[in-house]
Amino acid sequence: MAIEFKLPDVGEGVAEGEVVQWLVAVGDAVEEHQSVVEVMTDKATVEIPAPAPGVVSAFHAEAGDVVEVGAVLFTLETGGESAPDTPDVEVAAAPVEREAEDAVLTPAAPPRSPGAKALATPSARRVARGRGVELASVAGTGRNGVIRRSDVEAAHAAPAASSAAPVPAEAPVAAGGETRVPFRGVRRKIAEAMVRSRDSAVHFTVVEEVDVTELVTLRERAKTIGAARGIKVTYMPFIMKAAAKALLDFPQLNGRLDEEAGEIIHSHTVNLGIATDTDKGLLVPVVRHVERKGVLELAAELAELAESARTGRIGPEQLQGSTFSITNAGNIGGIHATPIINHPDIAILGVHRIMKRPGVVEGPDGDRIEVRRYMNFSTSVDHRLADGADGVRFLVALKGLLECPGLLAL
Amino acid sequence: MTDAPALSVIGPDGDAGAHDSGLDDEQLLHCYETMLRTRVFDEICLKLQRSGRIGFSVPNLGIEGLQVGAASALRRTDWIFPSYRDFGMALYHGVTPLDMMHNMFGNALDTAKGRQMSVHFSFEEPIHFYSISSPIGTHIPHAVGAARAFQMRGEDHVCLASFGDGGTSSLGFHSGLNFAGVWKAPVVFLCQNNGWAISCPSSEQTASEGFAIKARAYGMPGVKVDGNDLLAVREVVSEAVARARAGDGPTLVEAETFRMGGHSTSDDPTRYVPAEELEAWGKRDPIERFEKFLVQRGLWSEGDCERVREEAFAEIDAASKEAGAEGAPGLETIFSDVYETLPDHLRVQGEATFDLARRKGEAAAGAGEFPL
Repeated sequence: MAIEFKLPDVGEGVAEGEVVQWLVAVGDAVEEHQSVVEVMTDKATVEIPAPAPGVVSAFHAEAGDVVEVGAVLFTLETGGESAPDTPDVEVAAAPVEREAEDAVLTPAAPPRSPGAKALATPSARRVARGRGVELASVAGTGRNGVIRRSDVEAAHAAPAASSAAPVPAEAPVAAGGETRVPFRGVRRKIAEAMVRSRDSAVHFTVVEEVDVTELVTLRERAKTIGAARGIKVTYMPFIMKAAAKALLDFPQLNGRLDEEAGEIIHSHTVNLGIATDTDKGLLVPVVRHVERKGVLELAAELAELAESARTGRIGPEQLQGSTFSITNAGNIGGIHATPIINHPDIAILGVHRIMKRPGVVEGPDGDRIEVRRYMNFSTSVDHRLADGADGVRFLVALKGLLECPGLLAL
Repeated sequence: MTDAPALSVIGPDGDAGAHDSGLDDEQLLHCYETMLRTRVFDEICLKLQRSGRIGFSVPNLGIEGLQVGAASALRRTDWIFPSYRDFGMALYHGVTPLDMMHNMFGNALDTAKGRQMSVHFSFEEPIHFYSISSPIGTHIPHAVGAARAFQMRGEDHVCLASFGDGGTSSLGFHSGLNFAGVWKAPVVFLCQNNGWAISCPSSEQTASEGFAIKARAYGMPGVKVDGNDLLAVREVVSEAVARARAGDGPTLVEAETFRMGGHSTSDDPTRYVPAEELEAWGKRDPIERFEKFLVQRGLWSEGDCERVREEAFAEIDAASKEAGAEGAPGLETIFSDVYETLPDHLRVQGEATFDLARRKGEAAAGAGEFPL
């Protein structure tokens, strides 16, 4: 008989695992306890052994696939007739009649008739709402036909799926003038975060030009002071300080949406997510209590975070809890952008490069032309949670602070 | 005594000089076999966990000698208050792998009827093996309380409370050792300093010079011992047990060892344990060391290791199959085990629960998911 081996919870509450590599080939005979596949979970990379001797007759996932706990990973032909000893602990109580059910196979339930309330997990309901998927039309693969989140995602992706080419296991593979890069790991996490933001937030973006000539001078002096203390001072800590000050005046942009509670949370502290370009991809470590910290302190903390992010030693707790985020493309190029909000934040600030340009300066003797330094800032606001005017006012306040950075000391 | 270096008996080449352990040849071989059986039980549990047949396990790799050495110092009338890595102590005193597997599967024959996590054993026979607790250090005051009770009843039983270096940061450690000192309770505190409290190194666990020195503050002797040396651990724990039994009060033993595996099946130690430390401690494996000792005593011959391993594997593998085939505890045990006779209000709740379980079919655990 065949055992449909399901990915077990190998680490006290993990939800899914990524197949790293198959350690046997389809058709291989395996002993009980022989390692079959290597799976990476949030906690550890583990080898999954065969639950019984037999022949591995099918893989149900490829290297790189993310498999939910409880989903079938491989099929094992055991040759025997008896039920396998894979876990299927059921409640056995005198008054309860066990329902006849295959020991391992949970057949997919057919789509229900319209009108009947579909059985679904809470996360499946949430995703279905967000993507406009009719639950009644989704076939559930969970126990007793319960619709799981993956079912909804599969149903949502179904129309496009036919055109998707299979992703090869090795990375990256050149084939006939193109390079195929597996879409997984951090890249996939980023993709999920972006889609989540786009699918929920209604983005409104406004751009403002800021004369940073004074800030440049101030930063030069701060740089010298920082260097004496071993702290590298960039423009970012000044921008963070200014953003924190402005956000305290515009709390409607500082916080997040608690969808489950149906509440918009306006935070009384400013925790800034700083979008950081790392080897592994985009990470957004969070600097907490920016409103209480000085520019040098922020500079030191930023350097530490950047180092942690670079060496991959950043903990998940350091990537959570932002109330607002800043993304900086200024060191690369571009004059403005439409930043994507770091879900579930309300808004985000984009920082762009400093450019020398002729500017009109008002003086006691009238207007004159000077070489000035300008920097563009863009803010995207979730228009569901705040109004466009809030975004513009915030940006104007930020401009005021950065054009006259002495005000940051107030 | 606290500042003395850790006691070792068996040298790296297996030479124990003229040391008299008080164990006869048969008992020495039993120690060896118990260590190996502990290791094999561990290996099988890891496979069972990874293939989803049990929920959880806790590796013992590297500390088998410590467990067996300490257990060998106890009588069967004594009480063990174990840490979650101490099932070698139970095996030594005759708990069977099948008894243990019933717990690993949380089946109807599990002494805790599936209400504990896997590997959280409790046994009344053949030795009192107090229920393993996941919360750290909570069992230390329990051991002291039991010891105090024996003292008040005039019984000469001794309690062995075992915990890790991380356990010394718990409230239970302080309150337990404090009152054990005050009462001169017949208890032995065995701190297994295995280097790590999950991913926190023992160097970040305390500001004092090791753990044995903490005994001073509680008015009891503190002794350090080489935890990978079965006979040294036996020697030190035996002395502490004798003190306790004689009414001279508790002792804190710090056994220096190293956790060669992960903290649990949910842990990935390669993320934080330096490879060079693992390599260094790998050369001090307690089983290999004891094997060399047996060779020196003329008690071991080529092939013994394989023979014991094969026998242990066959026994434990069969135990896992048998326990795995056993049914789950009945839903009614949730209600029937609360009072001696079931009160009416619980009967009503029970019937409602059974009815719901019957209608929804959702009360079943399994399908690879953590039973929440």
